[in-house]
Amino acid sequence: MTRYVMVVDQSRCIGCQSCTVACRTWNDLPLDIIYNPVVSEGTKGTFPDVYRTWTPTQCMHCANPECVPCCPTGASQQDDDGTVWVDYEKCMGCKVCVNACPYGMRDVSHMVPRFDQYVRKCTFCRSRRAQDPAAEPYCVATCHQRARIFGDIDDPESEVSKLINTNYTERIFTELGTDPQIYYIPEMGGGAR
Amino acid sequence: MKHHYWEAPIVIYLFLGGLGGGIFFLSALFDLIITPGAGPLFFAPVFFALAALALGCFFLVFELGQPPVFWRVFTTKTAIIKWGAVLLSVAMIFGFVWWASYLYVLGWEWTFGLAAALEGIRPIMLGIAGIAGFGIMVYTGVMLSTLKAHAFWATPALPVLFTVSALSTACAAIALSLGGAVDVNVIGAVVAELIHEIVHVVDIVLVVAEITVLLIMVLSFYGAGNVTAQAVAKRWVRGKTAPLFWGGMIFGGLVLPLLLYILAAGSAGSEILAPILVLCGGLLLRYLCVYSDERAPIPGEERFYERLPKKDAAFLTAWTKGKNLY
Ligand code: SF4
Ligand code: SF4
Ligand code: SF4
Repeated sequence: MTRYVMVVDQSRCIGCQSCTVACRTWNDLPLDIIYNPVVSEGTKGTFPDVYRTWTPTQCMHCANPECVPCCPTGASQQDDDGTVWVDYEKCMGCKVCVNACPYGMRDVSHMVPRFDQYVRKCTFCRSRRAQDPAAEPYCVATCHQRARIFGDIDDPESEVSKLINTNYTERIFTELGTDPQIYYIPEMGGGAR
Repeated sequence: MKHHYWEAPIVIYLFLGGLGGGIFFLSALFDLIITPGAGPLFFAPVFFALAALALGCFFLVFELGQPPVFWRVFTTKTAIIKWGAVLLSVAMIFGFVWWASYLYVLGWEWTFGLAAALEGIRPIMLGIAGIAGFGIMVYTGVMLSTLKAHAFWATPALPVLFTVSALSTACAAIALSLGGAVDVNVIGAVVAELIHEIVHVVDIVLVVAEITVLLIMVLSFYGAGNVTAQAVAKRWVRGKTAPLFWGGMIFGGLVLPLLLYILAAGSAGSEILAPILVLCGGLLLRYLCVYSDERAPIPGEERFYERLPKKDAAFLTAWTKGKNLY
């Protein structure tokens, strides 16, 4: 079976937000929707020993997503390969899933006509992969630092499997039981790999 | 940039849903068990329950991103809000049939045949509407408490609080409308007096219970909640929501009506003002809870959104040439 995940190497990310812009472009997002903000708590330490880390975020494509069983229309769903996505033709904009996601990774735009609002979220570039099965999500293809790596965790030969097996990784809010599938290799000093 | 979580229409929906459900539940209890035959006295309360549920549904649909396709809510098996919609529909349909069977109390001749035809099924109609009404009261709280992304909602105390509050507002509405639109005879007046007495005492108990559950919930979050829930509790207890919580909710919506119920029994203060305050308190409770939708941020997330330009920032409008795109 195929199970798509993403590995994010925080020691490589420089916070340029290229991935964020690439995502907006590919998905033609309205201004008030951002699928993959790259966030930071700011500069830490005391001069001259200062540092800053960046956390590229996006939908965690949880193995046990909060946002799917709560959807009354079946619009919010998960593919066998783990991709969580919303069928815009079925969504009625009730926002239960927006309230359910512990990561704040879905929302309706208020910049579209009032009675034509549906929920949008990252789909691991489902539409790109449908056009070309070998294509990576656009944020991954755009990242010049190779900080975002996409692949099949069920394939032991994939780059993501190797990275996860050979590095210490962290995931966000695992205590909620969502089993998120974005694996972070944290910045632990020592510079980029 | 704040996420587009639920807003005022959902506040009103949760309040009216609980109120309507509660009236159905209590009407069924009285008419079927406590004071059998009191049906006509509940003609007006059940009318208000139907109106509350219909208006509540309107606000629920209005909050949808796509109101014309609201019927999609019925299309899956599992979702909790689908069950809410089913309970609302059942209560409204069966409640309406029961209510229509009593239309004759208005003296309209064309309804006499209807009353005769429906007389036999009245108990089953009200029974089903009452059970669905109970479900709605519980559901309004469960809907929020299953959303564990919002720490302040994700507590079993919330459905308890909403159910107690729904019953209490239903008592208040029944106290205000019992026997309305009906020409009450002597026996009816005695029964109405009895029901008023019971509802009066029951609402005293419910208001005390609501104060207890509310304080336990808020103060335990205040003392020992996780960071997010504790921040909300602090806002309620001594932050910017404190005047509304202590002054509006606790005093105006609970303690003052309680004092009026007990100390001014029999006066207009107890029979009219106190129930109105209880109803306002119920609405305020839903408002305070729905707008306590704080979610634990991913470290750095708040800083990111704070720094985004507002959507109408002049340079953005100029840059995008008025179009909704980068
Ligand atoms: S494009 Fe790569 S380096 Fe730039 S912010 Fe995104 S993940 Fe970080
Ligand atoms: S991060 Fe949120 S939107 Fe994405 S799968 Fe998990 S719960 Fe659903
Ligand atoms: S907003 Fe759309 S996708 Fe989300 S729960 Fe409602 S119908 Fe489902």
